[in-house]
Formats: sequence, C-alpha cells, structure tokens
Amino acid sequence: MSEGVKDRAPRLAPGCRLGIGEGQEDLLLIPEGALRLKGPARAIVELCDGERTLCEILEELTRRYPSDDATRIETEVIALLGRLRDRGALEFV
Amino acid sequence: MKYQPQGLIAEVTHRCPLHCVYCSNPLEMQRRSEEISTEDWNCIFRQAGEMGVLQLSLTGGEPLARTDVTELVRAGRSANLYVNLITSGVGLDAARLNALIDAGLDHIQLSFQDAEEGPANEFAGTRAYALKLRVAAMIRERRIAFTINIVVHRHNLARLEEMIAFAEQSGAQRLEIANVQYYGWAFRNREALLPTRQQLDRSIAIVEAARERLKGRLRIDFVHPDYYPKYPKPCMNGWGHQQMLIDPSGRVLPCHAAPMMPGLEFFHAPAHSLRWIWEDSPAFNRFRDESWMPEPCRSCERRTRDFGGCRCQAFLLTGDAAATDPVCSFAPAHTVIEETLVRINTKDEVPTGRSWVYRIDPH
Repeated sequence: MSEGVKDRAPRLAPGCRLGIGEGQEDLLLIPEGALRLKGPARAIVELCDGERTLCEILEELTRRYPSDDATRIETEVIALLGRLRDRGALEFV
Repeated sequence: MKYQPQGLIAEVTHRCPLHCVYCSNPLEMQRRSEEISTEDWNCIFRQAGEMGVLQLSLTGGEPLARTDVTELVRAGRSANLYVNLITSGVGLDAARLNALIDAGLDHIQLSFQDAEEGPANEFAGTRAYALKLRVAAMIRERRIAFTINIVVHRHNLARLEEMIAFAEQSGAQRLEIANVQYYGWAFRNREALLPTRQQLDRSIAIVEAARERLKGRLRIDFVHPDYYPKYPKPCMNGWGHQQMLIDPSGRVLPCHAAPMMPGLEFFHAPAHSLRWIWEDSPAFNRFRDESWMPEPCRSCERRTRDFGGCRCQAFLLTGDAAATDPVCSFAPAHTVIEETLVRINTKDEVPTGRSWVYRIDPH
C-alpha cells in the first residue's frame, strides 16, 4: 500500500460485516461468501471504523500488545488490510 | 455435521415479469396459490440459522413479486443470516429500496440482459431495460453492496466489452458474467444459446484484460459455458455438501433442477424439519458420498474436486442421473457433447434465426 494511506481511515466496504453469534466469531461476511479471520485479525478489523486513521490503529495495537515488535505489527496489519482491500472487503476514506 | 450447509437459496416465487429465453427455472412452475407464507419462511430461516447456514439468497422468479419481501429480509437477518436479494429490479422504487435496506438487506444483485436496450428487451421478452437503469442509479446512491449480473450467450457475447464498460460506470462493486446454464427453458433453447468456441476464446481474453485494468475497482466473476471445459463443474460444490435450495412451495432441494429426476422424493419445510431433510432424507444422501459413482469417476483422482459433475446434466443428456457428467472428456457419453459442439461450431449449421421459446409465467 502507498505511503499516504496511513493518514486515511479504513472501514469495511458496503455489504461486509463481522459475523455475530455462535459459530460466526471468526468470520467476515461478504456478498455471497465469508472470509475467515485468523488470530488477532478480528480485533484489527474491529478498529477499522472509518474514523481512526491507519496510523492511529497502529498506535492502538502497539499499546495493546506492548511486548510485540512495533515494526512487525505494522507489517502484518498493513498486509492484512491490503488483502482485505484487494478482496473488495475494505475501503479507505 | 459432516456436511455443513453454508447457503440457502430461497426461490420465494416462480412469478416473474421477465420471460427470459435462458431461464433455468423448471418447465413446470409453481403457482401463486402453492407459495408458502411469510411465517413459514420465517420458521425455515430460523432453522437454517440454527444449523449454521451463513448466506441467504432471496430469489425466484422475481422475489419482488411477493409483497412481503421486506419482512423476509427482516426474518433472515433475525435468524442471523447474511441476506442477498437476486432481482431483475422490476418492482423496486425508492421507498421499497429504503425499506429493504432498513430491514437489513446486505447485498443486491441486479440482472441485466445486455448493454443495449433493443436486444436486452428481446431476450427478456419484456421492456425492462430503461427501468433497470433507473434502479441501478437508485442503488448506487445508497450504501449497500451491489453486483450486476449479466447472463451471456451466443446472441449477446459480441457486446461483452460494452457490458463491462456499463458495469464500470454503474457504481457496482462486482460484475458477474454468467454463461447460460442449460437447464429448464435454457435446455430447450440451448442450440440457439450456446456460444461458438471463437466467441468463448474472445470473451475469456476480454475478461482477463478487464480484470487487470479494473483491479481494486470492480471484481469480475466469469461463469464458463457448460459443454466447453475439459472437466465438469463441481456442481453446487457437491450434491448436498454446502447448499440447499427451497422452491416456492417449501420443497427442499439439493439444486433447483433436481425435481425432474425420477425416483427421488423431496420433502417440504417447515412441515419436515430442515435438519432432518438435510441430514437424513434419502434424496440428499443419494449422491452425497462416492458410493454412487460409476467408472471412470470412482477411480478418478478428480472425484474429490468435481464430484463427478452435475447430476441433473447427466440425467438430461443420458437419461441416467448416476452417469458421469457427459461434459467430462473421460465420460462414456462425452460424444453427445462433442457432437453438439461440432454442430454449433460448423458455420453453415449455426441456427441464425431467433426460433426460441419464451418462458411463460405461472399465475
């Protein structure tokens, strides 16, 4: 993803929402399908509310996981959000 | 559950203002008086949600021909299902669209028959094109997932680039270009609808180039025409593996063409529980595992990927639902496909007239 994207706020695309209830906890529901969110991915997607910038999301995650390497968090979060955007499930406002 | 259902396709009515020549609805359609009630659907959706079904597709016929679609959407969301509406757009105005979105509709798939008004109306057997454009504009103004679906065949593939250009400026996030599937009315009209190999090769090249160009803006799904691939499609991802379809009368099916096959008994919901039908009814188990498979499927390494192909296609083309899908190049009956393709691809014999049969509407 390009540099400027850090100042923009990611949010789920229309028609994409996190699964609710039994058996749907790790699912992102999308038109006519579902994507499985592994590990901390759901918590990351929950932060993508269209208000927080990517920069702020990274700061928040670094606060939450102080023992993890901040550079590694950044690499992994950007990779996850990039995949979701390519799949049409995420947009930057 | 060994086979976890993922999707429920609810054909809530067979009534439709369009009469498309490639409609895959059964030739024997159900009447309005046979349709089950809002409360019955509500009960079915609750059971589906409890079984772990994720996706509900409201389709038909034209689902908007029912006056209770908003309630059906609400019932689907209450049952914790993701709700898709598969529609021609006929019957949708701003107030109704707003009500559907307020009720929790997640995604709209709007059909177009062509990128040009004249042919579009001809294939649909009705003048719906202009209205569909207005519906597309209405959907674009709202924040809801939007897919455009265009069924393609011999008589409109020449305009594939125009169709993609149209979808590009329509505001849709996804374009589904689906070749006709040869069941129901489409099977009856298949000689007039099958594309030539030249058309198919051209369309694949166009779609690939468009996918590259539109990456990140418009997703393009392409459904290949039956008969051309070397191997058959993994129909429904396996009989009774992931999907169930319920017809307007509440009859639960592994796919919508299944009732034409002899010797299979299909049960109605909610009179019978969805779980019993899915797990234990003989028809759902008939082609579920590999024990029904003849050779060459039984020893074929692809059997876990395509499951022997489509049972309904096998029945339509060979008279035996338990035969290898003739589309498969290893199938004993593959000659039927070869002969059809030779006929279609021999210039002099291509049927040029529009001698097709329009779908009629049930009352």
